[in-house]
Amino acid sequence: MNKYLRLLKPVLFSIGLLFIGTNLFAQQIVTGVVTGSDTKETLPGVNIVVKGTTKGVITDLDGNYTIELQADEKVLQFSYTGYETSEIEVGGRNAINVELIVSSELLDEIVVIGYGTVRKSDLTGAVSSIKSEEISKITSINPEQSLQGKVTGVQVSSNSGAPGSGVTVRVRGIGTINNSSPIYVVDGMILDDISFLNSADILSMEVLKDASATAIYGSRGANGVILVQTKTAEQQQTKTQFNFSAEYGIQQLAEKIDLLDGRQFAIISNEIRPGSYNNVDAVPNTDWQDLIFRTAPMQNIQLSISGATEKSNYYIGLGAYNQDGIIPQSFYQRLSIKLNNSYNVNDRVKIGNNFTITPFKQRNAPNVTYQVYRAQPVLEPYYDDGSFGVVYNVGNPLADLAYSNDYRSGVRGVGNLFAEATIAKDFVFRSSYGIDASFNKAKRFTPAYTIYNPDGTASQQQNLFSDLAKSSSDNFSWLWENTLTYNKQFNEHAINAVAGYTMQKIRSESLGISGQNLIRDGEDFWYIEPPYVIDESNNINMLQSIFNGVDANQYYNMISYLFRANYTYDNRYIATVTFRRDGSSKFSTENRYGNFPSFALGWNLINEDFMQDMGQLSNLKVRASWGKIGNDKISYFDRFARVQSDLFAIFGNPDAPFPAATYIKTGNPDLKWETTSQTDIGLEVGFFNNRLTGEFDYYNRQTDDILVELSTPGHLGNGQGVRVRYNAASVLNRGFEFNLQWREKIGDLSYSIGLLGTTIHNEVLNIGGNSGVDSVLVSGYLGNGIPVTLTSVGKPVGAFYGYVTDGVFQTQAELDAYPHMSQAGVGDLRFVDINDDGRLDGNDRTYIGSPVPDFIFGLNINLAYKNFDFSLDIQGQTGNKIFNGKDVVRPDPYNFEARVWDRWTGAGTSNQEPRPSFGGYNYTPSDKFIFDGSFIRLRNVILGYTLPERISQRLAISNIRVYVKAANVLTLTKYTGYSPEIGSYDVLSNNIDNGIYPISAVYAFGINVSF
Amino acid sequence: MKSNSLIIILIITLLGFSSCEKFLDVNPQGELTQEAFPTTASDALLATNAVYTTLRSWHYHSGGFPILDIMSDDALKGSNPNDALNTVGPYNTFSITTTQDGLDRWWAALYQGIKRANVVIEKVAEINMDEQLQTRYIAEARFLRGLYYFDLVRAWGGVPIVTTTDPELKIPRATADDVYSLVEEDLLFAVENLPSKGTYGTNNFGRATTGAAKALLAKMYLFRKDFVNAEKYALEVIQSGQYDLEPNFADANGKNGEHGIESVFEIGAMENESTLGDQYANTQGVRGTPNRGWGFNRPTLELRYSFEEGDPRKDLTIIDLGEEIDGILIQGDGTTPDETYDEDGNLIEIECYNQKVWIPGTSTDSQFGHNRRLIRFADVLLMAAEALNENGKSGEALIHLNRVRARARHGNPDILPDINETNQTVLREIILNERRHELALEGHRFWDLVRTGYAPQFMGPRGFVSGKHELLPIPQNEIDISQGVLTQNPNWP
Repeated sequence: MNKYLRLLKPVLFSIGLLFIGTNLFAQQIVTGVVTGSDTKETLPGVNIVVKGTTKGVITDLDGNYTIELQADEKVLQFSYTGYETSEIEVGGRNAINVELIVSSELLDEIVVIGYGTVRKSDLTGAVSSIKSEEISKITSINPEQSLQGKVTGVQVSSNSGAPGSGVTVRVRGIGTINNSSPIYVVDGMILDDISFLNSADILSMEVLKDASATAIYGSRGANGVILVQTKTAEQQQTKTQFNFSAEYGIQQLAEKIDLLDGRQFAIISNEIRPGSYNNVDAVPNTDWQDLIFRTAPMQNIQLSISGATEKSNYYIGLGAYNQDGIIPQSFYQRLSIKLNNSYNVNDRVKIGNNFTITPFKQRNAPNVTYQVYRAQPVLEPYYDDGSFGVVYNVGNPLADLAYSNDYRSGVRGVGNLFAEATIAKDFVFRSSYGIDASFNKAKRFTPAYTIYNPDGTASQQQNLFSDLAKSSSDNFSWLWENTLTYNKQFNEHAINAVAGYTMQKIRSESLGISGQNLIRDGEDFWYIEPPYVIDESNNINMLQSIFNGVDANQYYNMISYLFRANYTYDNRYIATVTFRRDGSSKFSTENRYGNFPSFALGWNLINEDFMQDMGQLSNLKVRASWGKIGNDKISYFDRFARVQSDLFAIFGNPDAPFPAATYIKTGNPDLKWETTSQTDIGLEVGFFNNRLTGEFDYYNRQTDDILVELSTPGHLGNGQGVRVRYNAASVLNRGFEFNLQWREKIGDLSYSIGLLGTTIHNEVLNIGGNSGVDSVLVSGYLGNGIPVTLTSVGKPVGAFYGYVTDGVFQTQAELDAYPHMSQAGVGDLRFVDINDDGRLDGNDRTYIGSPVPDFIFGLNINLAYKNFDFSLDIQGQTGNKIFNGKDVVRPDPYNFEARVWDRWTGAGTSNQEPRPSFGGYNYTPSDKFIFDGSFIRLRNVILGYTLPERISQRLAISNIRVYVKAANVLTLTKYTGYSPEIGSYDVLSNNIDNGIYPISAVYAFGINVSF
Repeated sequence: MKSNSLIIILIITLLGFSSCEKFLDVNPQGELTQEAFPTTASDALLATNAVYTTLRSWHYHSGGFPILDIMSDDALKGSNPNDALNTVGPYNTFSITTTQDGLDRWWAALYQGIKRANVVIEKVAEINMDEQLQTRYIAEARFLRGLYYFDLVRAWGGVPIVTTTDPELKIPRATADDVYSLVEEDLLFAVENLPSKGTYGTNNFGRATTGAAKALLAKMYLFRKDFVNAEKYALEVIQSGQYDLEPNFADANGKNGEHGIESVFEIGAMENESTLGDQYANTQGVRGTPNRGWGFNRPTLELRYSFEEGDPRKDLTIIDLGEEIDGILIQGDGTTPDETYDEDGNLIEIECYNQKVWIPGTSTDSQFGHNRRLIRFADVLLMAAEALNENGKSGEALIHLNRVRARARHGNPDILPDINETNQTVLREIILNERRHELALEGHRFWDLVRTGYAPQFMGPRGFVSGKHELLPIPQNEIDISQGVLTQNPNWP
């Protein structure tokens, strides 16, 4: 027995040592309580992670935590939203209580501004930003649509509901009578359009609105600048992160236009032309809208892969977007590939690239909405034998759809390569070379066809020869930017300065050709080869037109110098100076360079000593800025006298032509930029620890030297009535912006409500000429050549102009008692004799409405409760008018809108709607066709559910969220058309409804997965 | 440290690129502009031809409508009673305003011609090309510039003078004397440097010749009352041997005489309505059946009665209803009354048309091929006669006067006897009347009356007011655009 015990001891001892040994390498248990510095109360759900790993725990409802650590796990990271992340060295302790400091993250939030970043508290300009969560709510190829109703000062209108169509963006009113669109800065390139960018790849969008923020973009910033930051991997993200999302939606026409049905139309026709229809109950009843609109699907899928190491950071994004249109023969497909990389060569130098390549394919439907609006409901779409029925004067829209082949496709690549080097500790030199290259093709083929009348003869709707038009265009530009940034903080002084030099080259060219009578109709033969476009019976070659040229707006070079210095004293007083000098090849040597300075001041009152004990006031700041910025979106050709070489002189006997050439009209060698001077005064407040924040701005921007065509004196030799472009007009925009946000978290429920609005007062100050045709701009031409807008001093840009109506002439006596046009009869509209001269003529036309809204607003509500999230976006505008142009142009008997049913049929029957007619006097442009375009729209409703972690973790996925979404489902407006939102690039012909592709309501569901 | 200095060098090199001014010089693409045209010899020819193109524009012909004849006692508005009643009608009765239709068109067209001439005069001089050809082109352009300014100064008096392609926006009116000096300079240069009609090949007919320049110069001197120079240059044209009268009066303006022996300066045109024709004749062509035009510029009863008995030129100037010309019966316009009477029953208008713009053919298009004769030899002969008479050489004057009458007589000894009158005052009136009968409806009458002082006598009854109507009013929109730099003519509006 003794012997065994003696043997056992060392064994036991060794085993004991082993245990102790492993205990030494074994886990150390750390516990503690986490509290918040503001409330001093415990915080549940605080994330505690071992730094450099994903191992971690969360605090329980009482703020307690327990974590087991290995010996080499030395640092714990405590993080919680609303508080600053805290890193604690364990250092062998077992009990660690942590007090997390509430983060004034709103004030320390970094805002991206041109050529740099700045803390929000140091910002003196008016800059609004939205983050990727908001951007990804809107499913659209145009990321700028997500700014609608979320950013003050910005009005976004869809030009059309057709898949692939663009949007019109206006920042703080309409700046000029020419191109008023802002510029976009993406991945180091300055662009006019960002439809190539997948919203899912965007980290944030910043809208620079006032002079202090935009002056750094000098000659291009006058209409606002939108900065787009694309995604990179998160800083501390060491594990490769995958994000996948897929969305499937159904689009539908939100609301049809109320038109007369077959029987009603027959009754009205009989009133206009008695005997048109013998039996109004037996006429066909075709609802053309039902025939052409359909529900259409759309899909949006993306996958992003991102990761970071100490040295490198990469982000790859792939997106596929496919949308069919609610009108057949229209779709849009896009594939986007994003590649963002950066690499730290050493601790001083970093290089990287951002690239996007986006191929797309698009099919366009013909403008059948206009046909469907006009087509008589008493006509049948098909004959008994299945062929297309005739639709007099308008054309059968179904036939147009069937015979239309209109495709566009292309690819665009945007990106840059950059290198950054830190020099002498405080200087950073950055050089970036960016390119924007795009190539587009279009083809349009219509076969030969004939639609027949019921009696077998050919109707007007026919195409004698098949025709094909093809074109291609390419654009290429490069931008080389070099900046040196200086950042220094000593004592209370902080300086941030940047100086830079950039060069840019922009080129474009297009080529097109068309021909008729192709040898075959099939797509394999959609090429123009001279032997294949012959009219055999007459043996004529039917090659029609050839064009080749450059886009004079996209062919220029620029050199720029830029400088900005931002000085902050003690986090209280801020001053910013910005200067940019741009030289452009568009202008002559004398006018080549423009200087654009701006100055701004800011005062963080909240940091003053006398503001220390202001109770619930957590932020108070005022700022003001003034500056000059330019608009260079003009064509260089206006500078020159161009040569006309299609003239002839006749000499000889017999008379024979000899070619001649000379100058067309004088150029304007003094052509230069349009310049905007803008003043902004802003106030930022915060209450209750910034749970309630408000930002208020007053803006006043005046654009001078606007390019406008003016008559020239006869001795210039331009010929009668010929006009030349001068920098002569001025436009004013001013208003208020306000943005109120409330964020709250109560237990498991967190919510935020945002209410924002902008007022716009838009006024033309000067047109340039002081007399006759030069003192006004007439535009807004309808299909029949009649203009409906008149832009003049004192009125908004694109103001509507026409007669004012005042009821209907009920009796002959009423008619005789009031001045009227000779065509007016009893039952017709009464136009007001505005100038009171006893005559009703063209001089009685006057201002009847403005297309520019007075007030734009948005209301955004976000809720999160446990695993559910809900968001509601409402936006709208008031004060803008729409001109219903499609109702006015009536050369033939068309269908009517439902209001015509309430027509005048005798004295006292109606004082709004005159006696019916197929056109003529009652359809003279007047305020009868002006509608209030104000609307409130439920832009987005999204309900999402994130699967509980225990389920998703079982699938080795960190996050699965499913959601349902409805967009554009409800619009409250008085306008009778498809949509009150009618964008237009041409600001002089704005908000005129000439038959637009309607915007659809979308019902979708989707899934987001991250792993 | 190494990477530091490397970076600093990089910055310095980059800054070295900062003066890349040439980078900002980008030429216009795909289109010729004033920078690149005219620069070659063929450019020079194209530019010179373009100065002639203005002559064919409708606006060149006194703004479109023949207002000079309509204002005179030779013609009425024409067409049917309502056509252009408010736009052209007021010229008939001297009741026009400063915004009257056509004034701005004429003004603009003349200056357009002047600009095109300046392109040649200013820019072709810098081209490296054959000197003789270059001088000829410039001389052609100066002749035409002289022609355009001559019209301007006769119509409006002093006007802004523009001699470069890049004029100021605001130029005040020069005096009439200054304008006449410029015309004189230009025409003298043309006289020296233009070839004669015979040296041009047939396919250059229509180009300015030294004979044309001399004839125009003579006319200009008449207007300046410089009868010595007028005589000199008119006689040079006559003695050059390059010109003679057409045997048939009809051919002087008709198709058979195009670029003929009598043509001194003529506007070529082809029977083509769009770009190669001239609408001058169509504006005055027979209205209705056959449809040859709008029917403006209707001969007056006074013109009709003023012809001497038996003067064949009357029938060759006036197309009457029922006439048959070139096998075509003239029936006229249904909406125009054949005869118009006033309230008292007096005949005031007969439907008739200008025969001098008649072109045989089958359609309206043929009118577009009429070649308007701006200067013809008969005019030169009469100018010579007038100048000689004013210089006291009435005997010599009669030679040229009678030459014109002899052609009109066409061999018939019983009509248009030779004139033997030598009294200067009487002969002056005879020559004035001869001009009327020879050159009726060719745009001469109004200015002939104004310059000879006979305007109040002949046009007073129609409303002519001395001191006002000698000149047309400057178009109101030109005065407006100039913002007061241009001043209006006396007694207007």
